[in-house]
Amino acid sequence: MRTLFAPLFVLLWIAPSAAQTRASEKEWNAVVEAAKKEGKVVVAGSPDPVMRNEIIPKFKERYGVAVEFLAGRSSEISARVKTERAAGIYSVDVYLAGPDTTATTLYADKIIDPLKPLLTMPEVADGSKWKRGKIWFADPEESFAVRAFSSVATLMFINTDQVKLEEMRAAKDLLNAKWRGKISTEDPTTTGSGANAAARFYHDQGEEFVRKLYLDQKAVRTRDRRQMADWLARGTHPICLSCREDDVRPLIKEGFKILEIFSLTDMPGSINGSPWMLTLADKAPNPKAAQLFANWILSREGLGIYARGYGSVGLRTDIDESNLNPGNLPKKGIKYFDDTDWSWIVSGRQEYRDKVWKLLKGK
Amino acid sequence: MSLPAPTGVFVRPRVRLRPIRVAEIVALLFFAAAMGLPLVFLLVGSFNLASPGQAAIYGLGNWTSAFSDPTTLSALWMSFLLSSVRLIPAMIIAVIFAWLIARTDMPGGNAIEFICWLAFFIPDFPLTLAWILLLDPNYGFLNLLAQKLPWVDGPLFNPYSFWGIVWVHTSAGGIWFKVILLTPVFRRLGASLEEAARVAGANTVAMLRRVTLPVLAPMILAVAVLSFIRGLQSFNTELLLGIPAGIYVYSTRIYDYIRREPASYGEATALGSIFIVVLGALLFLYWRFLSGKRKFTVVTGQGYSVARVKLGKWRYVAMAGCIFYIAVMTLLPLIFLVIGSFMRRYGFFNISSPFTLAHWQSLLSDPIFLVALKNSLLIATMTSVGGIFLYSAVAYLLVSRRMVAAPLLEGLCWLPHILPGILLGLGILWLFLATPLRFIFYGTVWGIAMALMLGDSPVTTQAFRAGFMQLGADLEEAARVTGASWWYTYRKILLPLLAPIAGAVGLMNFGGALTSISIPVLLYSHQSRPLAILLLEYSVTGELERGAALGLLITAIICAMMLIGRKLGLRLSGM
Repeated sequence: MRTLFAPLFVLLWIAPSAAQTRASEKEWNAVVEAAKKEGKVVVAGSPDPVMRNEIIPKFKERYGVAVEFLAGRSSEISARVKTERAAGIYSVDVYLAGPDTTATTLYADKIIDPLKPLLTMPEVADGSKWKRGKIWFADPEESFAVRAFSSVATLMFINTDQVKLEEMRAAKDLLNAKWRGKISTEDPTTTGSGANAAARFYHDQGEEFVRKLYLDQKAVRTRDRRQMADWLARGTHPICLSCREDDVRPLIKEGFKILEIFSLTDMPGSINGSPWMLTLADKAPNPKAAQLFANWILSREGLGIYARGYGSVGLRTDIDESNLNPGNLPKKGIKYFDDTDWSWIVSGRQEYRDKVWKLLKGK
Repeated sequence: MSLPAPTGVFVRPRVRLRPIRVAEIVALLFFAAAMGLPLVFLLVGSFNLASPGQAAIYGLGNWTSAFSDPTTLSALWMSFLLSSVRLIPAMIIAVIFAWLIARTDMPGGNAIEFICWLAFFIPDFPLTLAWILLLDPNYGFLNLLAQKLPWVDGPLFNPYSFWGIVWVHTSAGGIWFKVILLTPVFRRLGASLEEAARVAGANTVAMLRRVTLPVLAPMILAVAVLSFIRGLQSFNTELLLGIPAGIYVYSTRIYDYIRREPASYGEATALGSIFIVVLGALLFLYWRFLSGKRKFTVVTGQGYSVARVKLGKWRYVAMAGCIFYIAVMTLLPLIFLVIGSFMRRYGFFNISSPFTLAHWQSLLSDPIFLVALKNSLLIATMTSVGGIFLYSAVAYLLVSRRMVAAPLLEGLCWLPHILPGILLGLGILWLFLATPLRFIFYGTVWGIAMALMLGDSPVTTQAFRAGFMQLGADLEEAARVTGASWWYTYRKILLPLLAPIAGAVGLMNFGGALTSISIPVLLYSHQSRPLAILLLEYSVTGELERGAALGLLITAIICAMMLIGRKLGLRLSGM
C-alpha cells in the first residue's frame, strides 16, 4: 500500500511545483518580450570598465536590448537626476550606485521603486541560488536595494621590502615611531575611502588613536588613488591605509613585494558590498527593460561577469570563485565588521566621520 | 483748479529704435537669461536648508556652515597666495613670448607659437604626474641625476610644496593660455608707434615699457584678470601636489562639498560666491582703467604697417631662450607623458617588458570611441564657430560706446568665469530643463555645444573686446561713407582684421570643448557622449595610461585643427 502511495505523493508534490515553474517561466518570457519591444534600458552609475566592455555587449547579445550607460560621479548623477525630475523628466531606469549613494541619496530622496516584486527571473527568484537563502535587500523595508556582493575588504597594504608582516600585527603597531611619515591614506578630511577608514579606526580604536595615527604619525594624504598605489610599490610610503585592490593587485602580479592585510589582532576584518547596490528608478521610462536588466544582472551570467571583473565576491552560490583572491572570501565562523551595513552607512559612519573631520580639521 | 480737457487727438511720438539699441536689448535679455538665471538658481538653492526630497525651507545654514569650517579661510588665503605669486612671473614670461613671436624678427616665431598652442592643450593631470616622475624627492629623474653631482647631498627638488605647485603651473597650460591670447593682439599692433619711439631715440626696452605695453594694456589686463581667477579655481595640480604637503586651496574645499554624499551644492555655491566679490572688484578696477578716451587704437584707416622690430644679433639669443624654456618646461614632461601612454604602468621602468601598445589598442577599439570622437568634433566645431560670431558681436557692442548698459552686459559675460565648472553645468542644466527648448538642448550635441559656448564667454568676449579696441573708428566710418551696410563692414573689414584673434579664441574654444568634463557630464546622453566623458571614466577608474593616450590623441586633433585654422586665419587677415 505504502509503495502504491509513494509515487502518488511525489506526483502530487511535484506537479504544482512544475506548474508553478511553467507559470513563472511564462511570466518571465512575457517580461523579456515586453523589454525587447521597449528596445533599450538606461543605466546610471559610476564610470565602470566592466560595464562598458563586458556587460553592455553581453546583455545586447543575450536579449537584443541596448544598454545606455550614464556614467558620472555619484554627486553628478544625483544632481542631474534630481534636476531632471524637478522638470518632469524621467530618463533613468536602473541605478548601479555605490552603497553610500544608494542609501543617502537614492533611497533618502525616494526616487527608487520597490524592486522585490519584480525579481521574477526563475534563477534569480530561486532562494537556493543565494548564499543567504534569499536575495539580500539591504534597506530597512527589505524591498528597494539589492546587495549582490560581500567581500572581505583589505584593511591595509604593506610593502614587505620595508615593513615585515610581524611588525604589523595590531593596530597599535601603526603608531610605532618607525613608521612616521611612511603611511599614506586617501585624504580623510573629505568623503571617500580615506574618511571611511578613519571612521572605522575611530569606531574601533578611539579618538586618541586617530589623533596619533593621522597627526602624530604624519600620515601622508592624497586624493589620487594611483598615487597611493605607486608610493606603496616604490616604497616611498610603504604602508597604505586606503589603497584600492584593483590598483594594487596588478603591482603584486608584477612582482612588487606587497602584502594585503585583512585584519589585525585588535581589529576584525570587514566585509563590504562594493562595487554597487542595485535599485530601480521610479517612473522608469523603460520599465520592462529595467526589470529585465535588473534580473539579468543578478543572474549567474550577469553577476558572474561583475564578480570576475572586479574580483568581488558575489552572493550567488553558482558563481565560479576559483579566480578570486582567497583573502576576499568571507570565512565561516568569523564575525566581520559590515562596512556596508545600512545603519552604519546612514548614521554610524557619518557620526564617526564628523568626529574625525572635527579632530583633523581643528588641529 | 482743474486743467482743461485736452482737445484734439494725442499723437504718441514714434520711438524709432536704432539697430544698435535693438541689439543691446537682445544681448542683455539673452545673457541675463543664459548666464544670470543659472546663477540666481544656484544662489536661491544655496539658501534652501530642506533635506533632499522635502519642501524648501530657507535660511543661512549652508552659508554659515561653509564659512565656519576652520579650513575655509586658510584655503582661501592659500589660493590667493598661489594665484598671485604665479601670476607675476607667468605674465612677464607670456608677454615676452608674445612680443618675440609677434613683433620681432626672431627666427622660428611661427614654430614656437605652434608649440605654445600644443603645450596649452596637453592635459594637466598627466602632465603633473610627469613632473612628479621628474622631481619626486625619492625617485624623480632630475633629482637622481642631480645626486650624481659631488656637491649635491639629498634631493634638490620637491614638487610637493608651494614652489613645486608654482613651478608646475608655470609649465602647464596657464602660461600658454596667456601667450595664445596675447600674441594676436601684439601681432595687430601697427609698427608706426614703435617706429616713432625709435625715431625719438628710445631703445627696445624703453619702447616696450613706454609704448607697446601701455597700448596693449586692455588685453594684458584682461588676461591678467582671467588668469588670476583661473588660478583661484585651479584644481588638479593642487590636488596632486598640494594635499600630500598639507596645502589645501579654496577650489578643493568647494569640490569637497560637491563630492559629499549627498552632495552639498548649497555650501559649494556659498563658497563660490567669493569669486563674485573678487571678480566684481577686479572688474571695477579694469573698467576704471579703461574708462576715458579711446587710447588703445593701433589700427586706423591712415596707413598700417606690420613691420617687425629688428633684434639684430639678439634674435638668435631670443630664439635660444624660447627653445630652452619650452624644452625644459614642456618638452621634458611631454616626453614622459608620451612614453607613459606606451607603458604598462605609467612611470615604472623597472618592471619586466615595461612598454606596450595595449593602451592605444584598447582606446581605439573601445566600442564607444568612434561615436564619442564624432560627437566631440561636432560639439567642438559648433562651440568654436558659434562663439566667434556671438562674442565678436557682443564685444563690438561693448566697445561701440553707444550702449547704455555696457557694464551690465560685460558683467553678465564674466559670470561663467566665477562659477566652478560643475556648478555652472548644474545651472545650465536647470536652465535648459526650464525652457520649452529642452527637447532641442537636453541630452543633445546642440545642448552641450550651447553650454560650452556660454562657458567660453569671458575669454572670448574679452579677446574680441581688446581686438576691437585696437581698431580705429575711421575704418567703419569710411566703409559707411562709401555705402557699405553694417553687416558688410563687419564681415569684410572688421572680422578679417580680427581674424588672428578669432582664430586664436576659436581654436582655444575648440580644444576646450574637446577636453571639458564638468559641463557635459550633466548634459550628455548615450547618443551625445563626447570624448571628455571617456576621459572622465578613465580617470575615475584609475586607467591612467589609457587616459594619457586619449589626452595625447585630443592634443593631436587640436594640432591638426590648429594647422588648418592658422592657414585659414592668416589667409583671412592677409598676413
